[in-house]
Amino acid sequence: MANMAVSRIKREFKEVLRSEEIAQCSIKLELVNDCFTELRGEIAGPPDTPYEFGTFLLEIHVPETYPFNPPKVKFLTKIWHPNISSVTGAICLDILKDNWAAAMTLRTVLLSLQALLASPEPDDPQDAVVASQYKENFEMFCRTAKHWTNSYAKGPHKFPDFDTKIQRLKDMGVSEFDARAALSRHNWDLNRATEQLFS
Amino acid sequence: MDSEDEIGIDSGNSSDDEDYDFMQVDEIQRQSGNAQDPVEYPFEVLTTEEIVKHMLDCIAEVNNVVEIPATTTRILLNHFRWDKEKLMERYYDGDQEALFKAAHVINPYVKPKRESKTFRCSMMEDCDICFLKYQYTNMTGLQCGHRFCKSCWVEYLTTKIMEEGLCKSIACAAHGCDILVDDVTVMSLLTEPRVKTKYQQLITNSFVECNRLLRWCPSADCSYAVKVQYVDARPVTCKCGHVFCFECGEQWHDPVQCRLLRKWIKKCDDDSETSNWIAANTKECPKCNVTIEKDGGCNHMVCKNQHCKHDFCWVCLGSWEPHGSSWYNCNRYDEDEARAARDAQEKLRSSLARYLHYYNRYMNHMQSLKFEHKLYSSVKLKMEEMQQHNMSWIEVQFLKKAVDILCQCRQTLMCTYVFAYYLKKNNQSMIFEDNQKDLESATEKLSEYLERDITSENLADIKQKVQDKYRYCEKRRKVLLDHVHEGYDKDWWEYVE
Ligand SMILES: [Zn+2]
Ligand SMILES: [Zn+2]
Ligand SMILES: [Zn+2]
Ligand SMILES: [Zn+2]
Repeated sequence: MANMAVSRIKREFKEVLRSEEIAQCSIKLELVNDCFTELRGEIAGPPDTPYEFGTFLLEIHVPETYPFNPPKVKFLTKIWHPNISSVTGAICLDILKDNWAAAMTLRTVLLSLQALLASPEPDDPQDAVVASQYKENFEMFCRTAKHWTNSYAKGPHKFPDFDTKIQRLKDMGVSEFDARAALSRHNWDLNRATEQLFS
Repeated sequence: MDSEDEIGIDSGNSSDDEDYDFMQVDEIQRQSGNAQDPVEYPFEVLTTEEIVKHMLDCIAEVNNVVEIPATTTRILLNHFRWDKEKLMERYYDGDQEALFKAAHVINPYVKPKRESKTFRCSMMEDCDICFLKYQYTNMTGLQCGHRFCKSCWVEYLTTKIMEEGLCKSIACAAHGCDILVDDVTVMSLLTEPRVKTKYQQLITNSFVECNRLLRWCPSADCSYAVKVQYVDARPVTCKCGHVFCFECGEQWHDPVQCRLLRKWIKKCDDDSETSNWIAANTKECPKCNVTIEKDGGCNHMVCKNQHCKHDFCWVCLGSWEPHGSSWYNCNRYDEDEARAARDAQEKLRSSLARYLHYYNRYMNHMQSLKFEHKLYSSVKLKMEEMQQHNMSWIEVQFLKKAVDILCQCRQTLMCTYVFAYYLKKNNQSMIFEDNQKDLESATEKLSEYLERDITSENLADIKQKVQDKYRYCEKRRKVLLDHVHEGYDKDWWEYVE
């Protein structure tokens, strides 16, 4: 790995450790291997959003040409959000693509992702189904996102009616994630979710 | 001498032929390319060095009037697609601050608010890219005030140039800053020759692509660009010999207009699967079914089967006999036949048949055009042979000219089928089709003579016969093109689209 990338990551590490966000437990950064190419990030769900009290893990890959090319980042924690794929965790965010600047850091990336959780951009979606639910049925979106935060990110909000429906599908031999995804996609309509899963 | 004066003179007197033959090859090409245009269309062919010089001239010209740094001028010019007048107009009429902002440069009249240098010199600065501390002199930046260390700048520019192929649009490395890096800064920071060369190539390329009055020669491996004084659908001839339309960049396509040609090419691409089979270079003899490969441009086929030797037309697979006589009838789509097909409620098939009819003939001339290039070498041998029989180099040039004209006629014929495909039937379109038929018949005769008969002909007779034939072709080509142009002027043409 290029020297510049390594020395940058080392320094960025210190920056994150010293930052006040760390003190407030809102972001975290860890090394996965010793060569500084793989990192693990963690962000707290922002307050007053469906993601509040949740903890989201991120996979960060630092390219050889860092910081002249952006790091590759995706969500490891499953999340229901218009700009993040509910299946793969891929993120649609300008600073991770064309708007990346060499003077940006992993700290700014983590803070930008936190900002993205607080204000989704449904007109530039990564997950079209989530985006249309966000626009057409905001109430349903919030409940679903809270439910996902509870199921995958240790969020506090439980929705017994959702859990019952998931259990019904699990009884039919569907995996928990597939059941949750199918129900979420169909506004928790059990019949339509069943239809999709078994067609 | 004007080539148009000669057309139509079929006399055996060869005094004016000599004039023709004295012309340089490229001059003949240029004249014939422009022959049908009443007004001259001036253009220049530029080498890469001349393009760079032209670019610097443009900048200097603006700088004579507007006193701003050349680096800023270049960015502004690029913003206005190298339209000097537009830049000047906006510069003097409008809000200059807004202009600089839109072009992503800092107004050069505004002094950057920076702390005094002496104070700074003693300090160490942090580079926001590599996070290291540097002396003031090792840091640099643009007018926006964002400063980074020199080695980070080099890395940054190299990534943008080599990986993203950017040149004019490289912005400051700071987040959210869109101030563009000027060429002088780039060249002074870069050290690696490989990157510098690439950057210069990108700059030249973007200059040509942005500039409405410049166009790269579309020919493969050609590095010349053509410069005109105004944009028009006119033929220009590159130094490599390629003749193309300045407006659309396609091979020169008179009589069809750029718009319809583009539409046709798109249609051909979209329909390529259905039409692929037609483009194949083999057909079966309609009489004995032996597979025959087309190896020359001439459409008069003679079956290679010694027991058959059937003469037929490659295009329609009909017997050749009528093609050789006055009623050459291979160009016109038979409307009656089409109607019969429609009656049989095969609308789809009929429109496909109609398309295939024109496509087939278009492709056929395109294929023939490719084969005619083989003719140049066989004709060259003939020219050498004639020179051994006491004819001068100049005297035998008529053979090369004959092939040049044959190629022009094929190129024109190709385009007439595109024109005809979109043409609505009326009295003028019938005249057009007659002209097309005459040109096609004359062209096939010239092609056949050059490809076949010439070998058995008495050397003394060849010149006269070839000249008669190519002059007739030229005449028919001119008649056809003049008629279509007249139609454009008088609004005769209606299209089916
Ligand atoms: Zn640096
Ligand atoms: Zn800047
Ligand atoms: Zn060329
Ligand atoms: Zn054109």
